[in-house]
Amino acid sequence: MSADVSDLSLVRRVQGGDKGAFDALVRKYQHKLVKLVMRYVRNPAEAEDIAQEAFIKAYRALPQFRGDSAFYTWLYRIAINTAKNAVVSRDRSPIEYNIDRNSDAAEESYDMQGRMKDSETPEGLVLTDEIRRTVNAAIEALPEDLKTAIVLRELDGLSYEEIAAAMDCPVGTVRSRIFRAREAIDRRLREVFEGGLGRTEDLG
Amino acid sequence: MNEELDSQLSAMFDNELPAAECELLARRLSRDDELKARWSRYAAISATLRAEGGVRLNSNVAVRVSQAISIEPAVVPKTEPVAQPVPGKGTPRWAMPVGGVALAASVAAAAILFLRYESPLQQVAQTVPVATPNQTLVAKSVAPAPSDSYTVPKTLSRRSIVPSTQLANYVVAHSEFSSPVNRRNLLSAFMASESGTSGAPSGSDEPTEDVTDDAKSAR
Repeated sequence: MSADVSDLSLVRRVQGGDKGAFDALVRKYQHKLVKLVMRYVRNPAEAEDIAQEAFIKAYRALPQFRGDSAFYTWLYRIAINTAKNAVVSRDRSPIEYNIDRNSDAAEESYDMQGRMKDSETPEGLVLTDEIRRTVNAAIEALPEDLKTAIVLRELDGLSYEEIAAAMDCPVGTVRSRIFRAREAIDRRLREVFEGGLGRTEDLG
Repeated sequence: MNEELDSQLSAMFDNELPAAECELLARRLSRDDELKARWSRYAAISATLRAEGGVRLNSNVAVRVSQAISIEPAVVPKTEPVAQPVPGKGTPRWAMPVGGVALAASVAAAAILFLRYESPLQQVAQTVPVATPNQTLVAKSVAPAPSDSYTVPKTLSRRSIVPSTQLANYVVAHSEFSSPVNRRNLLSAFMASESGTSGAPSGSDEPTEDVTDDAKSAR
């Protein structure tokens, strides 16, 4: 199985003019990209801005993407460059030059900036915590074979074939176990969004 | 929601769905909001399991990107432009003389092939002379020999033996540009052909008398 086959299917659709397919790619990689960008910037809000910019750059550059590398590898490079440029640009800005970044006051001021951005969506922070708790609780409640399959996939990044070898079962069984694990977690997660804060659209 | 479809979506999320199924599902995913929402939750589950700390799982990056690209023109893949041979435009200067040489070589090759085809030497080379019982010389065709039949060689036409009168005229007219040796050889061949093929019908549009006069003057 090609490592990038589903991404490539979506990419080809975008290249054919289907913007909805790009939305699916963004939804899939947004968390990963934000986490990547957070190596360069401190606060999640800024990381999200940079990730957004990287996605838009990727969309514009997609006609040049030929599929020689995996889509995420290509996106990763765009995000890294965007983050580096953003950091350089921010460091050059006159406002930032006025702050003595070695002092405790400056650190505090800088952190407050991040918090202020986060505070724009206070319910979002609560929701993020709620999602984490729900997912972790759902994982713990899974039968052992489903839990092992999803953990090997998500945490260890093994392919279905590798998981099949590790669990001594057919690949089809692995696919089914991972799907059933996701479904069990997703069922609880939907309750959080629909019954709890009712902000399903915030998932992107 | 169809369970099989959800199972496919889960496999697609892991890049583990066969390509043909991916094509179909990708099309549906780009249009089906419910499927997209599920896809997003799979991403949130993945991010949580990978302990992507600091990442807001209710992030609206996708919404913002979607809004931003909605005003962008749709992506069109860039195709390689088909090279159009426009003289003097877009051609590197160094390539022009090379192209000229290549063109001249092509013309020369075509001319050689044409002359070889027209030349009786080719016909002679393709025939093997054999003696008939009454000792007259005939030629046996070598190339396509369906049967052991004898053939009489064709009468060689004047036109194919020597340079045409027109060519001789040209050489004479431009004799100042040709070397004396070449000029002499060409005209000698022409004169010889005139005497040797006197019985052959001459070309109606070839002014032979003028050539003879010009040839004399050229000598």
